[in-house]
Amino acid sequence: MPLNPITVEVIKGALTYAAEEMGIVLRNSAYSPNIKERMDFSCTLFDHKKRLTAQAEHIPVHLGSMQLAVQKGLKKFDGKLEDGDMILFNDPYISGTHLPDITLICPIFYENEIVAYSANKAHHSDMGGKAPGSMAGDATEIYQEGIIIPPVKFVKGKVIDKEIANILLSNVRTPEIRIADLRAQMAANLLGKQRVLELVDKYGVETLHKAMEEFMNYSERRMRIEISKMPKGSCSAEDYLENTGTSNKKVKIKVTITVKKRQLFIDYTGTSKQVEGPVNAVLGVTLSGIYYVLKCLTDPSIPMNDGCYRPIEIYAPEGTLVNPTPPAPVAGGNVETSQRNVDALLKAFAKILPEKVCAACQGTMNNIAVGGINPESGKHWTFYETIAGGFGGRKGIDGVDAVHSHMTNTMNTPIEAIETIYPIRFLKYELRKDSGGPGKWRGGVGLERSWMLLAPSATLSVLAERTETSPWGLYGGKPGAKGEYYIIKPNGKRIKLKSKCTVKIEKGDIFLVKTPGGGGYGNPLERNSELVRRDVLNGLVSPESAKKDYGVVVNLLQSNNVRRKQKR
Amino acid sequence: MVKYRVSIDIGGTFTDLVALNEESGGILNIKVPSTPREPAKAVIRALREFLGKTSDAEVSVIVHATTIATNTLLGQISLELPKTALITTKGFRDIIEIGRQRRHELYNLFIQKPRTLIPRRLRFEVEERIGPKGEILTPLNKTQVKSLAPQLKRENVKAVAVALLFSYINQKHERKIGKMLKKSLPKIYVSLSSEVAPEYREYERTSTAVVNAILMPIISSYLNELQRKIRKLGIKAPLCVMKSDGGIATKTIASKKPVGIVESGPAAGVIASAFYGRLLGIKNVLSFDMGGTTAKAGAVKEAKPEIISEYEVAGKVHSGRIVKGSGYPVRHAFIDLAECSAGGGTIAWIDEGKALQVGPISAGAEPGPACYGKGGKQPTVTDANVVLGRLNPKCMLGGEMKIYPKLSEKAILKEICKKIRLELTEAAAGIIKIANSAMAKILRIVSVERGHDPRDFVLMCFGGAGPMHGCALAEELNIAKIIVPQNPGLFSAYGLLAADFQNTLVKAIMKLIDKVNVENVEADFQKLELKGAKLLEKQHVPKMYMRFIRQMDLRYFGQSYELTIPTSKPLTPEILRQTVEKFHKKHMAIYGYAVKEEPVELVNLKLIAIGLIKKPKLKEKPLSGEKPPKDAVTARRKVFFEKDSSYIETSIYQREKLKTGNRIDGPAVIEQYDATTVVYPNWAASVDKFGNIILSAKNGGN
Repeated sequence: MPLNPITVEVIKGALTYAAEEMGIVLRNSAYSPNIKERMDFSCTLFDHKKRLTAQAEHIPVHLGSMQLAVQKGLKKFDGKLEDGDMILFNDPYISGTHLPDITLICPIFYENEIVAYSANKAHHSDMGGKAPGSMAGDATEIYQEGIIIPPVKFVKGKVIDKEIANILLSNVRTPEIRIADLRAQMAANLLGKQRVLELVDKYGVETLHKAMEEFMNYSERRMRIEISKMPKGSCSAEDYLENTGTSNKKVKIKVTITVKKRQLFIDYTGTSKQVEGPVNAVLGVTLSGIYYVLKCLTDPSIPMNDGCYRPIEIYAPEGTLVNPTPPAPVAGGNVETSQRNVDALLKAFAKILPEKVCAACQGTMNNIAVGGINPESGKHWTFYETIAGGFGGRKGIDGVDAVHSHMTNTMNTPIEAIETIYPIRFLKYELRKDSGGPGKWRGGVGLERSWMLLAPSATLSVLAERTETSPWGLYGGKPGAKGEYYIIKPNGKRIKLKSKCTVKIEKGDIFLVKTPGGGGYGNPLERNSELVRRDVLNGLVSPESAKKDYGVVVNLLQSNNVRRKQKR
Repeated sequence: MVKYRVSIDIGGTFTDLVALNEESGGILNIKVPSTPREPAKAVIRALREFLGKTSDAEVSVIVHATTIATNTLLGQISLELPKTALITTKGFRDIIEIGRQRRHELYNLFIQKPRTLIPRRLRFEVEERIGPKGEILTPLNKTQVKSLAPQLKRENVKAVAVALLFSYINQKHERKIGKMLKKSLPKIYVSLSSEVAPEYREYERTSTAVVNAILMPIISSYLNELQRKIRKLGIKAPLCVMKSDGGIATKTIASKKPVGIVESGPAAGVIASAFYGRLLGIKNVLSFDMGGTTAKAGAVKEAKPEIISEYEVAGKVHSGRIVKGSGYPVRHAFIDLAECSAGGGTIAWIDEGKALQVGPISAGAEPGPACYGKGGKQPTVTDANVVLGRLNPKCMLGGEMKIYPKLSEKAILKEICKKIRLELTEAAAGIIKIANSAMAKILRIVSVERGHDPRDFVLMCFGGAGPMHGCALAEELNIAKIIVPQNPGLFSAYGLLAADFQNTLVKAIMKLIDKVNVENVEADFQKLELKGAKLLEKQHVPKMYMRFIRQMDLRYFGQSYELTIPTSKPLTPEILRQTVEKFHKKHMAIYGYAVKEEPVELVNLKLIAIGLIKKPKLKEKPLSGEKPPKDAVTARRKVFFEKDSSYIETSIYQREKLKTGNRIDGPAVIEQYDATTVVYPNWAASVDKFGNIILSAKNGGN
């Protein structure tokens, strides 16, 4: 007998809310700023067949990886799970992201049967390895990136396995914080479990499962309807990573999208082979990019679950940048290649949906990890952050200035919090002039951020992109400015850093980041001169660029004086 | 002369004046159309009508709730934002624009951030720097500050916000800048971040100072103008404003810190719930207010409304919670409210995936629900209630408004039933069920998500539509008792009349508990008390009515969110230990774990300075028998109840005819002028001495 649609709707709401509530518990009870302030985590519920049923909207880079993680990670535990167990792992080739992301899965038992799973994934700011923050820009094997934990019963009978915890904590730089964050991850899963069991009490297992099934079918239906609205046909595009961290050779991502009647086919044939450096993106990351783009181009209100995946067929050849095999290092695949994947996908979609996509956003997350021994406490410290940049211009509106784009949306940590805990002092945090790609609708500007090291020494890792290639413009829009990284020595000497590197720094050294701007959209000569003038007055565009790129002369002394040079 | 306390609440459609006769407890209500472009106009009109109705009235106090602050920032009022400048530490003028670097919608390639309130060219930097321990790393460059004055003047700036790094620990530089500006530009409003929100997190503190600066000229001139007009009517009573924290403040104080009144209106319902709770001896109340377009939930715990310390003004709400990054953050005490788009006018529809959705669009007052017969074609929650027999099928508002039940049926059949093959009744019940689950969620947000068990609460249902949904919500949350106040539509006004003067003062400490010097902290608390007492004195609160509540914001070291824990006076090592103990307990209750061996950090001291006001007296009515008078039953009709999935022949009572002590067993419907109470089967209604309806679950709520 089919279920009453109203019951389905109510259970749908309850499951979605349960996933959200898990996120609140995780966020509130975690310790590290990475999870609390930057919300670098995802919370989900799965049905008894290990299909993603509900996912809270936290961070796009986990969108496609959770289902793979749960299905692969639980494989060897089939029939061996008991009530009160939780499975933990961070092996990227299983979890579908990178080592710092720890996945924790909790089977939910009712009368000795698994009726569902609650699972979450959170980014821990250190998992050991050669560089603090576990994001070494020059790793050549995954073993250099940190400790690899295969799926293990981390929690048995509701108690953390001390032996396993010991191994894990002996391999990381900030063990106290790690265990606290893991406790928060446990608390989130327990809440998910409690909520599912409440639904079982109210509706019974059968109704719950039917409703979950219908929930997924519903997303599938809506996804197919959205796809059927797209023009049919095929289009492809390429974009490049500028280097791999260990080699200066560009690496290609090529994608071909075929829109069929109610189905999409996405093919990565032509993408470069996997590389030695840490920019390989495991399949989970590649899938996340695809689902992110589709969510943006369809209707983001379609609930994310297994149903969304069904109308999409994906071919990512094994052994390539977008589906590597072990022991290729992958730390940067999550954060950098994932962005380039989105760029390639959007560039392809631009050919069939020109008014629905934006020009390239900054295309990097500007991952910075710095750490060393704190001279005051004698303890190890690690600070990790990602820095915003420009958003691409869109039809009708400028790109957003200084904001995270696409696969990440993590918050910054307040300077007042950083300086209180870590031995660094900030000197500047401001918008970067002339970095937005000129266009009828200008690309968003990037940021300048710099700080000075106060401790005797530290190790600094940069993992970034778009310092050699530019965020592209669309339909006549110009590219956004490239990123730049410097160390400025106390004597004033400037050392330009590569976009992927690990360096030693010393007391008094200044680290300066200039993040890329977004690409422009449309011909800059068609930009409203009043908007050009406003940008000049606000110091986002220099009078020189106004003249050169937009053909507009702005006289700053007479603020009302705007003159458009003859159009070229 | 008869003394009246008067409250005036400006809503989107109507401005409500409620006058409480201080001796008899009688209530007078005046409703006039709001004048959104000039809100004061409707206020004066209402007051004039009130004076016309009462020949010998003496107004003792006017308490005013206004949304002018929020509406100004939302651009809903044709007021241009006053030109405002910002002064920051050198290198950091863009903190206000960068914010937390997030986008508030993840999957939107056309996302736009809220417009930064101060354009970049009006953000100035000065050389100075304070370090994380409050040490001065770079002294303030006074020459630079001096040179700003002519620029600000030339730009015709009306207000200036000053927000320097680490000013929450060391206010010296901000104060100096403030003094220098005041001296050279005496007419300019100055808002210092260290005074408005002396807490860490530079973006949120700066944002608070900026919002405050922008509102200063607006609120000052609005309140001055209003007071002038009130005086012209011959009313000498002080003009007070409801604040977001549920307290009131006099005009002068509110004008100085207008950031405190941005959520002036919605707080009143929760305050009323707290007041009624105290009156009836109930400490834990969930406040539920359902009107035409939205439903709002709040919690009163241990007789005190739950307070949060941050809010985003003009932000968007998504499934009950404010979406971070969608508005302008303000650090201030706010009554904790969750909101969803579920009101009588909320529209039900079928989406492309064939699922029934309710909201977020509302039919509003025009055209309104289909049954109003004003051209509304979309089915609403009200239409579903009409089909289910819960609402009077002939008329509402005591006969003033005709109802067309056929139009409700038609709308539901066409827009819902045809599209997903449901029977009319199933569809109507479905609409109610989905609306109820959205409303249950906001009640959960303010209770379960904050670590409270709803079963320990009584549900206060008000607003025009609240009492109709009370039983269903109580059943969903296992609540055993519901109160429907005598005038559900005017209930919020009681909140305005029962609110005390209140000011929250904060001092940042940022020290591990075992490094805290108890005597120093005691001295800090005493300083805050002196400050608080001064503020209350300025509002003419006599010493004997002053109360001070001490709190500490605590967290485990390394966490970045604090819990506010009450503490007592005077602070001793033992009291401190007990406070930390309470913190562990609260952490356990909210987050499911506590770690006693972890170091605890004292982030802020908070002092709430309260000036008690004389509480309104409610009219008590003589006790009658259990049996309602015969003429109280005005009709019988078929009403649908979910449990039995069927229509049950139900008695319809007229509330005005019910007497204290009367008892009605469910199922029943109790109608009154502006609200309808539905008593579910297995519930019983009784009327208390104040005329409130008390609904009790017969099985204790389980």
